Amino acid sequence: MTATAMPRPAAAILVIEDEPSVRAFVRAALERRGYKVVQASSGAAGLQLLERGSFAGVISDIRMPGNINGADVHEWIRTNQPQMASRLILISGDTANSETQHLLASSETPCLEKPFRVQKLISMVEKTFGKP
Amino acid sequence: MRERKSISARRPAAVSGRKNPGRPKHDYSKELMELVVEAANSRVLPEFLRGFAERTAEMLDAEWAGVGEIVGSRVEIYTRRPGYPANEKEREWLGQGLRRRRPGLEVFPLKRTSQHIAFYPIYASDGELMGTLCLLRKAAGFSRAEEKLLAALASHAALSMEKVRRFSQLERSKKQWVEDIDAISDYIAVHDQAWKIVRTNRSLATELGIPPAALVGEPISSLRHIAETGSALPCPFCRDTREAREEYIATSAGRTFLVSTSRTRGVTEEESRTIHVLKDITDRREAERRYRELFDSIQEGLFFATPEGQFLDVNDALVRMLGYESAEELLRADVSAHLYPTPAAKARLVSAIAERGALRNYEETLRKKDGGLLHTMQNISAVRDALGQVVQIRGLMLDVTEQKMFQSQLQRERDFNQKILNTTQSMILVLDTAGLISYANRRCYEAGYRKDELIGHRLVEWVEGSHQKDFEAALQTTAHGQQVDNLELRARRADGSLGHFSISLSPMRDEANQVNNVVVVMTDITDAALLQAKLAHAEKMATIGRLVSGVAHEVNNPLAAILGFTDLLLENPEMPAAAREDLQIILQETQRTKEIVQDLLSFARQRPTQKEPVNVNAVLRQTIKLRSYDFSSHGVEVSEEFEANLSPTLGDAQQLQQVFLNILNNAYDAIQESGNHGRIRIRTRRAEDDVEVAFMDNGTGVVDPERIFDPFFTTKQAGKGTGLGLSICYGIVRAHGGEILCWNNEGESGSTFVVRVPAATETSLAAAVKEAGR
Repeated sequence: MTATAMPRPAAAILVIEDEPSVRAFVRAALERRGYKVVQASSGAAGLQLLERGSFAGVISDIRMPGNINGADVHEWIRTNQPQMASRLILISGDTANSETQHLLASSETPCLEKPFRVQKLISMVEKTFGKP
Repeated sequence: MRERKSISARRPAAVSGRKNPGRPKHDYSKELMELVVEAANSRVLPEFLRGFAERTAEMLDAEWAGVGEIVGSRVEIYTRRPGYPANEKEREWLGQGLRRRRPGLEVFPLKRTSQHIAFYPIYASDGELMGTLCLLRKAAGFSRAEEKLLAALASHAALSMEKVRRFSQLERSKKQWVEDIDAISDYIAVHDQAWKIVRTNRSLATELGIPPAALVGEPISSLRHIAETGSALPCPFCRDTREAREEYIATSAGRTFLVSTSRTRGVTEEESRTIHVLKDITDRREAERRYRELFDSIQEGLFFATPEGQFLDVNDALVRMLGYESAEELLRADVSAHLYPTPAAKARLVSAIAERGALRNYEETLRKKDGGLLHTMQNISAVRDALGQVVQIRGLMLDVTEQKMFQSQLQRERDFNQKILNTTQSMILVLDTAGLISYANRRCYEAGYRKDELIGHRLVEWVEGSHQKDFEAALQTTAHGQQVDNLELRARRADGSLGHFSISLSPMRDEANQVNNVVVVMTDITDAALLQAKLAHAEKMATIGRLVSGVAHEVNNPLAAILGFTDLLLENPEMPAAAREDLQIILQETQRTKEIVQDLLSFARQRPTQKEPVNVNAVLRQTIKLRSYDFSSHGVEVSEEFEANLSPTLGDAQQLQQVFLNILNNAYDAIQESGNHGRIRIRTRRAEDDVEVAFMDNGTGVVDPERIFDPFFTTKQAGKGTGLGLSICYGIVRAHGGEILCWNNEGESGSTFVVRVPAATETSLAAAVKEAGR
């Protein structure tokens, strides 16, 4: 299940998520729909990948250990790759958190609240990044 | 003599100038001369008068003659021939005749005896009637010569009587004078120019142990040993002989004399006399000395002053007290103006003395020499003259500055304590060791207790029954001298409600160090206790919130994977039907878990999702409508007491509706459980800065109002609820900046839930609008 297996080489979706099980599920769901997926297990790793290549879109968890969280990823994109700002989907485990609420409200970035159904993920990805 | 029964004075025989020629035998002139000689030699009047009467009788051929002398109211009769008057009657008659004041001769015939009695008055040179010459003889008529003789005899008698009287008077007064001089206890010595003693009085002679006469003619210097005065003159008592008067004090051999000297100048040198009076004033001097010593050594200030308050004499203590160098300085006339801080103070003192005569414990503030103030207490008495005018004031003065300062310090301390006692927010009571209240501070009365229900009553009566034992124990401990601090117990307030009190008991000891009183400080900490409970609750809820939030987040990750993979499995068309059913259950329970976590997150939420003006009354009406079918079909009455024009609050209408619905559901469930005829009162009102909604039901009430908002605390049977409903309400209301409370109704069934959220203000509304527009 690599990029070369795809009939038409297309830009991959970058999934930044520290929780392996969630990352695995998102990747499985997307790949089954024909999306190419590149994974990063932390915000810092995600930003490294973003710097090197271009992606069809970015899906990032908000709360992650380490220096870089979802809000930082959002901020980095807005600053360094503004064209990607509208191609970001955030994942949140706790939307009641006031910081999260503030981030979502101010950036108007779509957000998936954990736990979420596969259908919801796919529909939001298609709507935001387009079909594969 | 012959008997004469009666004398008739009816008709006095005419005194005629008839001659009595048959008596030439008398040579009246010669006989009168003899009388004069006799009179001159006679110093004893009665004897002379008796002789005079005899001679008169002879000269006038009378059978009897007498001289009546008027001595006061009496008449003394002098005669040589007794026999007349013979009886009382005659004596009385004679007495009357002798007292007659008619001038000249009067003759009365005597009945039966054919005798005549003649009276001739004797007048003194000043015209005073001194007596009467009286004759009894046969012949009624008196010749002119005889009458002249009578007049001459009467004037002779008068002269003699006057002379003798004057002489005896002189004798008497001289004698009296000597006696008077002798009676004087002071020593008197008179000497002449030749320094010879002329006279001494008896006191002096007695002192010397000799008769007074023995000293006469002796040199005055012989009296030197009486009192050694150091005089160089021959007289030990003379100092300056040129002075008419001298007075000085001489001390000799332990005795002190006041020597007063007078000098009389006679016509000749020889007649000049010097009179010394020596007064032994030893005792008086000693008394004076003692008095002065006392006056000066006494520690209290003493003074003599004029009625106007000007000092006349002061003692050392007073001088010291007022800070002066000497008494002289203090006696200066201008001192009193400085002494009294105000002229009015002095005037008040002066008039008080004039009015009352004496002042006891009169308090006066005086100014010392250096200007410092001296608080004095004075006892003053006035000395008055015969007319009652105050002539002097005398007084004793005490320096009470220290006492005054001590007193005012004491007063200050008392005031301070009183202020503390009366302004403290704690109730302070004093009990005796039996627990009876003897004092309560003002705070007790401000709190509504009445004096008559405190004083004399046992404080324990106010303590709630279950706490009385604790209180009695504490009282015992204190009575044994141990302090008890911060005993917390419930007690009845003045209005009958129970309050939470913190009580401290301290022992108060008497002079013998025995505990005789207990001071009780009671503080109503009900509000504080409530606040503390509220804070503890809020803190607990916040802790739970943080915990829940953390758990929810952690649970959401695995939940996301479970849900996601379940979805992916279900997408697999190769999945057998049985497995698909199982997967559906997993999916279902995962959904349920998701909801629980979502609820938990709602509880922990810190801000409402929306912030817009919400009409609470409108939200309530909508909420009631949601349940109106259930309420009416189960006979639950809902009454709405909504305040018109209630201020809006800022928040999320949806969430608030969730809160109200939850409370209503709870009320409904409680009513159903109780079986009562259901009644729910919903009341809204503005409560200070909040909008308040109260729900009062008559259901079963709440088992534990304290814990009702805790997550998973439920009394409902399993499956009927997660136990998060009210926790979510709590979270929402908190997120709105409000509070939610619950208690069981007092005195009736059911419970009351109160939701308070801040009323929107212009500022908060403007801020919300701005926020929404971002």
